[in-house]
Amino acid sequence: MSSPEDTLVLLLAGGVGSRLNVLVKTRAKPSVPFAGLYRIIDFSLSNVMNSGMKKVGVLTQYKPLSLMRHLATGEPWDFTGRSRGVKILPPSTGFMDSDWYKGTADAIRQNLSFIKANPSEEILVLSGDHIYQMDLYAMIEFHRQKNADITVGMMIVPESEIHQFGAGITNDEGRIIEWEEKPRVPRTNLASMGIYVFNTKYLLKLLAEDKEMVDFGIHLIPKAIARDNVFAYPFDGYWRDVGTIQAYWEANMDLLKDDSEISPETWGIRPNPESEQLFADRIPARFAAGSKVSRSMISAGCVIEGEVVNSVLSPGVKVGPGCRVTDSIILHDCVIEEGATVDLTVMDKRVMVGKGAVIGTGDNKDVPNSKYPGHLYTGISLVGKEAEIPPGTTIGRNCIISPWSKQKDFSAKVLRDGETI
Amino acid sequence: MTRKPKTLAMILAGGRVDDLGVLTFHRPKSAIPFGGFTRIIDFSLSNLMNSGLERVAILSQYRSYSLINHIGIGSAWDMIGRYRGISVLPPYIGYGHSQWYRGSSDAVYQNLDFVQYIDPEQLLILSGDHIYQMDYREMISYHREKDADLTMACLKVPMNDAHRFGVADIDDEDGERGGKVLRYSEKSENTESNWASMTVFCFKPEVLYEVLEANIREDASYEFGRDIIPRMMREKRRVFGYKFKGYWGYTGTIEEFWQANMDLLGGDPPIKFADWNIRTNMEHRNIRDCQPVKIGNSAQISESLIYNGCIIEGEVERSILFPGTYVAKGAKVKDSVLLFKNDVGKGAELNKIISDVNTIFGSGVKIGEAGRPDSIGTTVIGWNNFISPNTIIGSGCTVYPSVSSEKIPKKVESGEVVR
Repeated sequence: MSSPEDTLVLLLAGGVGSRLNVLVKTRAKPSVPFAGLYRIIDFSLSNVMNSGMKKVGVLTQYKPLSLMRHLATGEPWDFTGRSRGVKILPPSTGFMDSDWYKGTADAIRQNLSFIKANPSEEILVLSGDHIYQMDLYAMIEFHRQKNADITVGMMIVPESEIHQFGAGITNDEGRIIEWEEKPRVPRTNLASMGIYVFNTKYLLKLLAEDKEMVDFGIHLIPKAIARDNVFAYPFDGYWRDVGTIQAYWEANMDLLKDDSEISPETWGIRPNPESEQLFADRIPARFAAGSKVSRSMISAGCVIEGEVVNSVLSPGVKVGPGCRVTDSIILHDCVIEEGATVDLTVMDKRVMVGKGAVIGTGDNKDVPNSKYPGHLYTGISLVGKEAEIPPGTTIGRNCIISPWSKQKDFSAKVLRDGETI
Repeated sequence: MTRKPKTLAMILAGGRVDDLGVLTFHRPKSAIPFGGFTRIIDFSLSNLMNSGLERVAILSQYRSYSLINHIGIGSAWDMIGRYRGISVLPPYIGYGHSQWYRGSSDAVYQNLDFVQYIDPEQLLILSGDHIYQMDYREMISYHREKDADLTMACLKVPMNDAHRFGVADIDDEDGERGGKVLRYSEKSENTESNWASMTVFCFKPEVLYEVLEANIREDASYEFGRDIIPRMMREKRRVFGYKFKGYWGYTGTIEEFWQANMDLLGGDPPIKFADWNIRTNMEHRNIRDCQPVKIGNSAQISESLIYNGCIIEGEVERSILFPGTYVAKGAKVKDSVLLFKNDVGKGAELNKIISDVNTIFGSGVKIGEAGRPDSIGTTVIGWNNFISPNTIIGSGCTVYPSVSSEKIPKKVESGEVVR
């Protein structure tokens, strides 16, 4: 009898995710915090755990330290024991190959020894970049039932967004008959979620055919649909690629809706609080007399004395008296001092906001950031890790404060819309 | 030099306390949840960890399951390794020797082979039932300085409370630090001192072995406070009192337990929770996997501690909420402590209650009376109850665990017990 244990999982966690700007200055995209106390990769990893697979290789490349600390021994996701495990697979120099991963398929190709050392029927390739819940074993069963060589997880997206994805056209039985990577002209609204099931033997053969094929979407899939059995596995739940600041902000805000489609806890998503390596455990969130909180998520260790509306607060955030935090995402241990205002802002860890500072103000949300107009253009301002905002500073829309900015880096009291420090 | 520890700590964690009623029907006092995410024993364990004492044994016999579950393998307190560890020592059946622990000192006596195997230079014996922060190293160094046979930590309590404790008359030998114990009396109505024993004892092992042997041979009762210390006083052993001046939550009654929880709240709370460096076992009840507190549109929260995994849509004031608690729209929770997984229905009003785990309050339920919380009694709801919609329960009531909901009257007068 076959079971989930016959499938080996390879999680691609090497992406830079550069559009997340300051959030990926010190970490890879999969380890960007999400929903207060999770990291993005917790979603894929927990899906794997809940689907019953036992062995996972995590392919890292870009700034892997925070990710490695987070994954630790795999214990938070029960990947410990004689037959279970999470293994970090960084690029390595070897006798023959000594190169960085050149693409998704190349990354897999450079880890053939891991694949061979862990015999499997199928290989499930996932991205560690997405927010979703999915029964991956149901997809494996679909793959087996269809006798497929490759099965691609796909979902319907608005036609206007298809240009960001691999796009497929299927026939009545679900076979993919046409494929276009990031099409400029939409011909379909069926998008690849970056989830692939391969027959292990088939994948090994395919990878050996041509070493110039380094990417699944661009090279392997188009070649395979022309001659082999490639199927689309339809998915219709909540799924987001949080690869842009806007998408990241929206997905966090989705958590706060009354009839929210995302619920990490009921989805069985597990975080790893120990990766914070704190000496003591965080105590419950403290709501002081006079605090006002609505439509928000507040993590343990927070101390709220002011007002918080429509915001997601990671552990240990302090909001002083007379403060107002609205429509914002505040990561771990930020301190917002008395009387400060924060609106429509994503704030990385341990930022200090001085008394009476105003972050995110003005009606002019259309002036994009002058340095990164493609990253910030909807009004959201970004504050990098451990920045210090001097008391009384006013910061406009679409602004970026670089990580570790010090008070002396602020030459003026006012930062106009679209400016960067 | 080896890493072998010089101190062995033994935690007395087996007791149920009658005055805590339904909270200890299914668990020892040390395993009662406290402060929104911890258990009472976490305070002793964290104190030991923070004092660098990592060779620990736990003596337990009453309904140990919850406690054993909580301790796990001890990794939450970093107590794993060749010379670190937490050993749970339940009563056992053995050759020519098999019985329940007949008292706190008998529990130690029955495990003397364990103690002698570890062969510590001093044996720290403490209760796992209290809320406090203490660096035991200071007391141990005082004990060594004095070459004492026993050093006990004492705390000044109000004179009219002294009769509830073992009380030591301490001479002024070392002023603020402590001194020789001149007289000791256990739970006596006519004591002149109010230095109460905190049940934190540091023994010279060889002396304790002798005293325990004599106690087993000659006495009929086997308690540290009632038998061992008076015997040591009679035998003119070197007994010292170490004066402790911090916060100590005895939590021996429902009102005290409620008050100790309230001592976490307010602008300048007596318990500086975040500074005490407390760890718990985050895997117990999977609290590590809880999402942040989700707060709805119409929620109102003030002066409260709320842990991850709660959903608040109603009003919460001066209360402590453990993970998995849901407060519906229009519900009001005031001056209360809701242990794990309580569900407060629409429009329900809870005033000064302690509710054990897994209880559902139907919509419109009213419990307790609004008003000054210190003048009204606490209502305690045992675990696994369903209180039907619109039920009215007074103050100072007790509802036993797992009472079938049709057995709970629609109106329960103040002070009544429902079983």
